[in-house]
Amino acid sequence: MINTENYYLDTFGVSRSLMEELAAEGLRTGGDYSDLFFESTWGSSLMFKDGEVTFGGFNVDYGVGIRVLKGEKTGYAYSESTSREAMMSAAKAAGAIAGSSRSDASPARILTDARDSGSPYVRSDSNGGRPVRKFFTGVPNPAADRYPVLNDWRTCSTAGQAAFLSKLANTVTAKDNRIVKVIATLTSQMSDYLMFNSFGELKYDTRPLATVAVSVIFKQGDDMESKSVSRSWRTGSEMLSEELVSEIATMAVKGIDEKFEARRPKGGKMQVVMGAGASGILLHEAMGHAFEADFNRKGQSIFSDKMGKRICPKGISIVDDATLRGNRGSLNFDDEGVPGQRTMMVEDGILTSYLHDRISARFYGVTPTGNGRRESFRYEPLPRMRATYMEGGDADPQDIIASVKKGIYVDDFTNGQVKIGEGDFTFYVNSGFLIENGRKTMPVKDINIIGNGPQALADIIAVGNDPVVDKGAWTCGKGQSVPVSCGIPTVLVNGLTVGGEQAYD
Amino acid sequence: MTDNINKDCGLLSPEDMALAQSALEIALKEGASKARANLSCSVMDLVATLNGQVDKVTHSFDRSLTMYIFADGRYGTFSTNRVSAEGLTEFIRKGLETVRALSPDPCRNLPDINRTAMDAGSGLELGLWDPERNDMDPGRRRAIALEASIWPKEGLISEEGEYSDSVSDIYMVDTQGLECRHIETSFEYGVEVTAQDKDGNRYSGYWWDSSPKLENLEIGDCGLTAMKRAVAQFAPQDFPLGRYNMVVENEVAGRLLTPVLNALNGSAIQQQNSFLADSLGKKVFPDNLTVIDCAREEGRSGSRLFDSEGVATSNSTIIGHGVVEEFFVTTYIAAKTGLKPTVDDASRPKVMPTMRGGTSDLLHMCGDGILVTGFNGGNSNPTTGRFSFGVEGFLFKDGKIVHPVREAVITGDLVTLWNNLAAAGSDYRRCSSRQVPTLAFRDVDFSA
Repeated sequence: MINTENYYLDTFGVSRSLMEELAAEGLRTGGDYSDLFFESTWGSSLMFKDGEVTFGGFNVDYGVGIRVLKGEKTGYAYSESTSREAMMSAAKAAGAIAGSSRSDASPARILTDARDSGSPYVRSDSNGGRPVRKFFTGVPNPAADRYPVLNDWRTCSTAGQAAFLSKLANTVTAKDNRIVKVIATLTSQMSDYLMFNSFGELKYDTRPLATVAVSVIFKQGDDMESKSVSRSWRTGSEMLSEELVSEIATMAVKGIDEKFEARRPKGGKMQVVMGAGASGILLHEAMGHAFEADFNRKGQSIFSDKMGKRICPKGISIVDDATLRGNRGSLNFDDEGVPGQRTMMVEDGILTSYLHDRISARFYGVTPTGNGRRESFRYEPLPRMRATYMEGGDADPQDIIASVKKGIYVDDFTNGQVKIGEGDFTFYVNSGFLIENGRKTMPVKDINIIGNGPQALADIIAVGNDPVVDKGAWTCGKGQSVPVSCGIPTVLVNGLTVGGEQAYD
Repeated sequence: MTDNINKDCGLLSPEDMALAQSALEIALKEGASKARANLSCSVMDLVATLNGQVDKVTHSFDRSLTMYIFADGRYGTFSTNRVSAEGLTEFIRKGLETVRALSPDPCRNLPDINRTAMDAGSGLELGLWDPERNDMDPGRRRAIALEASIWPKEGLISEEGEYSDSVSDIYMVDTQGLECRHIETSFEYGVEVTAQDKDGNRYSGYWWDSSPKLENLEIGDCGLTAMKRAVAQFAPQDFPLGRYNMVVENEVAGRLLTPVLNALNGSAIQQQNSFLADSLGKKVFPDNLTVIDCAREEGRSGSRLFDSEGVATSNSTIIGHGVVEEFFVTTYIAAKTGLKPTVDDASRPKVMPTMRGGTSDLLHMCGDGILVTGFNGGNSNPTTGRFSFGVEGFLFKDGKIVHPVREAVITGDLVTLWNNLAAAGSDYRRCSSRQVPTLAFRDVDFSA
């Protein structure tokens, strides 16, 4: 949602001239660049538990973060007050990165001509072999909004939301008589942002974000099983529909019979078919983080010396996208005021771009890719993913499964972890199936998939024609939490380690 | 709230605390039957280095007020960092409006005042405040961070260090007269290095230290320790799958205790999402496992005199010689379940030693097996206790390290695993709030 410039200036009680003054103050000791990030967030949560919506609340978070860059070095401070005095103090603290104070320093020049925008940070030679694009320097355009809001969460009645949650929980409960507990939650937030930098760029944005989730406990005989489902979008309260109730309720009980039957299979190295959609989290964790430019700039990523090189077979393309309408990872502008965009990281098997914030873009001499993100005004931006997915291939998903003599099919992951330097990853599999002679047979659960990200990419031997971006509430933690989404078509990886049990008998 | 920091101790001024009290009065005046106010304030300064140079400096200052409001048999929580005397009434009115839209819940209540902490008046009782924090300045922080760097070192391709010092000040009051405060300083240093072997393979290593008192912060060896941990992983080899003795290093052994403590949480038990739901008073674990909560140990990370409701903590036994002696039960969960109310969680849990010594002693005791020095992903099922964790570490024979291993997985269930506890060492990491020494287990399934 994009409001008027005056709406944001009034929300934070600032003027353009004051912001110019603050940006200049940050540069007074010799910094190269400074920016201001104002945030006003209102968040609400409601919980259905033990048969009723008996818990709720809201939180208010407000402040401004001020950053000063000196080369690739960062000074950062924030204030929970937007009084002139408090912000000046924060600007001074952030400016400390540029070294000891020089009282004779001349006031820094704030560029007020938008045509200068970003020029010190963009070199026109290469961008991973792709043409350099100038990013959008005009005013935010409501017509290009990626997350329009019909009904603002800030004015949505608590009683109405509680009634929705009750209906959802009761619909879930009615789906299966083995259900003994249902917890349903609705969290929503609206965040107003105003961004200004020493190039003179002024950007503003209002981001909605809402998640509906259910957690269900089933009991069959003496056995207990649990299942969780969530749906999350950047949208207003118009998302609370009958269709959403029906979709979540259906998903909450889907596959529970198999889960009760499921066993741990024998472990070992085998072919793994990753189901379309939520398996994309493996792409996010095991490969996506290694494409984030800060890890590469610091020489930590296993892809540090792979730009422009083949890293996986032809036919595989991997995208990080901020442009999907209403998607949890979408952005009109990133948290540095750079327009959100679609970034091809891997094109037909070739590594074509890292994910950049302004610091890494300057280091590599490329245009920022709009990946500078932060949890809130309390944090400096870092290169972060948005909606990360693999594009569809040409294989029929059923043919992929049929091609596997002995392997495993997985489509529900959790608790992934990756070591950026080594590329090693481990993912816990909530549910899946054994594949024997081309058919899904015994349900499996409580196992780990282990491998090496780059090796797994290189070992992909089939990509399905069924790409899906998952609709769940994925949150990426890299010191800071940011909402993301992920997706993948059905994919066959030739050899991954599956950690089951009794593997040695 | 004022912007003035109480420089002598803590961050909150008398005016700030008066504001919290007035929030309670406003809540009652506006129709709440009961309320609790939690005012917290923290400040942190950080200097990060990259390859021996200052890469980032940050300064943080946060204050927030959280109100727990009970009205008409209903309950809600509300927080804001925009607290002023002028805006307080409107904030609380909106909170009450939300509360009244919820369903009643007769189990919601403040804790019995007799269970609350009466001895946390100044916030300094536990000795967690170091006045040295007042003397820190940007130059001194830079010097500490830069001195700790070991860059350049042959074989390292990256070194990221981070020094920080912080103060946290929490003030809690409620409408039945509770008033308690907790003030804590923290000094921390952590460093991550990436090393490269002759074939270009990269390995990372991390080490850290932390202390409420600057004089106890030991950062001199952090860089070298991180580097040793990275280099030690060079040239990993496969090993035959099977059942092994497993020694888990003190740095990471807490990972195995956490799901056990989570299963003792009243909320998980009430929701039938705990594999220890019926275990209170029963001998579920072996004789040699005793876990105590050292909640009131002075000068130590994690210690606290009161929990999130203001309930007084105590030094207590959680698991005594294998018998589960305590669930973590809040006032709300106690009313829902009939369980005896205790505290919301363990504060500073400690696995008691069964022998003196550390990792090398436990390796010798076990003879052969796998030494686990890191966990990489995996999960445990809270309902069943079944787990599958990715691990890395070293194969050892005759008590000596043979070679590194990676991409390994251990599987089993937590009750069986802990019943195979062979020994717990005495090499606690002082900086950790979870006091878990190096542990040795028999007969662990390494399944990948």
